[in-house]
Amino acid sequence: MGKYLLKRIIHGLLSVIIVVAIVMILVYTAIDKENIFRQDPLIQKKNSNEKIVYKYQCWEDYGYLDYVPYADWLSEIARAGEIDEPTRAAAVSFGRTAEKDSAIVTEYIAKFTEVYEAKGYTIVRLNADTQSATSTTLKKGGQQRLFAYKNTPLPVRIWNYFKGVISVDNIHYAKGDVGQRKLTFTMNDPAYGGDKFSPAIIGNGTKYKYLLYFDNKFPFIHQNLITINLGLSYSINKGVDVWTTMVQPQGSNVMEETLYPTGFVESSSNDLHTARYAEGSLKTGGGFAQTRFNDDYTVVGTTKSGMSKMGYSFVIGVISVIISYLVGIPLGIVMSRNQNKLFDKIGTIYIVFIIAVPSLAYIFMFRAIGMQFGWPTTFSTDPAAGYKVYLLPIISLALPSIGGLMKWTRRYMIDQKNSDYVKFARSGGLSEGEIFRGHILKNAMIYIVHGIPGSILATLVGAIITERVYTVPGTGGMLVNAITAYDNAAIVGLAMFYALLSVASLILGDILMAMVDPRISFSSKGR
Amino acid sequence: MENEVINLEEFGLSDEELFSHYDNSNYESEKVTAPRYSYWKSVFRVFFKKKINIIILLLLGVVIVFAYLYPAISGYSASPEDMYNINAQKLDTWHLSPSQAIDKFGFSLSWILGSGDHGQSTFDSLWYGSSISISLALACAAINLVIGIIIGAIWGFSKKVDLVMTEVYNIIGNIPYTLIVSVLVLILTASFWTMVFAMTITGWLGIAYFIRTQVIVIRDREYNLASRCLGTPMFRLTMRNVLPFMTSVIVTLAATEIPSYISSEVFLSYIGLGISDMTLGRIIQQTQSFMAVPEWGFEYWSPIIISAVITIILYVVGQNLGDASDPKTHM
Repeated sequence: MGKYLLKRIIHGLLSVIIVVAIVMILVYTAIDKENIFRQDPLIQKKNSNEKIVYKYQCWEDYGYLDYVPYADWLSEIARAGEIDEPTRAAAVSFGRTAEKDSAIVTEYIAKFTEVYEAKGYTIVRLNADTQSATSTTLKKGGQQRLFAYKNTPLPVRIWNYFKGVISVDNIHYAKGDVGQRKLTFTMNDPAYGGDKFSPAIIGNGTKYKYLLYFDNKFPFIHQNLITINLGLSYSINKGVDVWTTMVQPQGSNVMEETLYPTGFVESSSNDLHTARYAEGSLKTGGGFAQTRFNDDYTVVGTTKSGMSKMGYSFVIGVISVIISYLVGIPLGIVMSRNQNKLFDKIGTIYIVFIIAVPSLAYIFMFRAIGMQFGWPTTFSTDPAAGYKVYLLPIISLALPSIGGLMKWTRRYMIDQKNSDYVKFARSGGLSEGEIFRGHILKNAMIYIVHGIPGSILATLVGAIITERVYTVPGTGGMLVNAITAYDNAAIVGLAMFYALLSVASLILGDILMAMVDPRISFSSKGR
Repeated sequence: MENEVINLEEFGLSDEELFSHYDNSNYESEKVTAPRYSYWKSVFRVFFKKKINIIILLLLGVVIVFAYLYPAISGYSASPEDMYNINAQKLDTWHLSPSQAIDKFGFSLSWILGSGDHGQSTFDSLWYGSSISISLALACAAINLVIGIIIGAIWGFSKKVDLVMTEVYNIIGNIPYTLIVSVLVLILTASFWTMVFAMTITGWLGIAYFIRTQVIVIRDREYNLASRCLGTPMFRLTMRNVLPFMTSVIVTLAATEIPSYISSEVFLSYIGLGISDMTLGRIIQQTQSFMAVPEWGFEYWSPIIISAVITIILYVVGQNLGDASDPKTHM
């Protein structure tokens, strides 16, 4: 069984990789890279050459190309010791047009061009953009620019993407001078004053300060050692990874008495356990940072009152899955026991309604009915809103899946009822009740069980319509938002997430089925 | 021949001797008689035996007439943009309830559902939208079913194709459907045929997989084994032995497919990824904000109810036709 499972898992991962590659090909070749700026408020403020350079910088950040400004190249060779500082300073100030360059500038630009053209880069020189042909005054952002760029080929992008999906924090992460790089294990977490018993692993030189820690929030033990990077979002949550967007808490800030590393105490929503390294931030942060922190781990997240996007989707989804299994299966059983009687007919009408009517239509109908009961129709992340805001989303998700479960349970039960072994059991003198419980139910449930892991994992993806109708801040709308905002990296990340979930639910479903049905054995699958 | 009444008493014979000898005929003894059976005739006989089917079929007729003939009469199809603007300047024609609209314009079928947000007739625009939605669903279903059945049949028969196609199915099936449709709609212009293309480019795969499973079940039945032993070529075996066996499965499949495309279209329009034509989905998307206003609720509920009615009718007709096309019900 172990060998078979390993084979399945490797197979599944391979299929995920192919899916992501297909999606990347689809998204990066078919959608013009200009489109990512459609919903970018920053680009509106940029003009002339500055705007062009901004675009190249963004494209570099999002993996489209490699962008090297002339000045950066000069600094790099200066650092390598090839040229001295005065030469660098003289060479870096290139003229407004190529004719106005000094001799040394011309020499180094020629070198720059030679070096990068040899590597397959394209050199772009943007002449100064003046107010008019005769004027010497520059337009806003019209500074002359010189840079080299090279589009990243798709296979390289795909390779880079998978290389970066899981990153493990290490003590060589921090680039600046951080003192002794080490991991410390402590029994008393300094964030709690250093007296309370709370084990933690603290790193120096790592990306995150706290690599493992305990706190009072579910699931109580947290880690920052392994980070999942599904793709950097451009529009839906700018500069934040899709995975982080899904799992980071939302809602309003929670103020708590916070003890900073310097011993400074204030009421703040900062969560010191999320402290992240930023080179030189202690110095640039000025007095504000220096009163609170004593190292460069100054980037902290905040404690929020609400759950994450995935949290809301999961809670609503799982409760509705539980309800639908608890209600749908018994109803399906009752329908099959009363085949062609009144109850069966009413149930069939309901099933037809759920299958045939567009889901949008019945969700709005449920909403209208719920409104009559005075239930809230808009969701709120505020804990004070109470459990009632969950009612309608859960019902709207549960009712359709109850219909689906009723249909399949009924179908399987009736199929089993007409099979030979049931006729044999009946002729052997078993009562109808015994046959139902002992034989039909057990065999029919095998198929039902197969779908359970899938329906639970699917809740993580969220429900697009339900969440939109009730304004639930869940994961459901993310893909659609990413698509409409041309947030290509987020689309790829979400596709990867969806593919992983679907592969996992198939494998888990098979395992669960094998556990329920002793006849199914994976080891003898070699037929 | 005249019918003469013969009084047997006259002959004074015993009962046995009243029987006359009948010559044994070779021709007659070889004749096999069975009730005449025609498949499609039986399908319709079974279908029309249920009174409810006649009613549903009539309703389907009404829907088709309203969706495809009514817009021509009402003139809405001429140019929806013009219709949209016909009353655009007259603010007093906007958002009228049915009774207000009838009072204002006089009684006509167009105004029985009131007027919309630019004074256009809700009833007319609904049927215009329905015709596009139904056409879209029919086009998608036809393309997907044809491709799906052909590929599914090959997939089920050939073990080599099975290996490759199962992998393809596992991989393509993992790409979110919304993603494929929306990326294609984004790349190409959002027109009717783009939508058909987007919905059929991978849509046939699920149908093909379903057919493949059915074919595998039927493929190894004894009658096919016998047929193969007698040297029937694979193609003929598929066309003559297997596909006819699956007619009822295919009809039932079509019954669920057609409404599902209407639902998908409504869903995609709702999330803002639909086509530019005024389909049912677009109408729902545009009117959803009116739900909050009590007097305007009509504009919002009408498209939802119409779409529900159309899909239920299509589904029930298909299901019952599927039941009737199962030869087991013909006895």
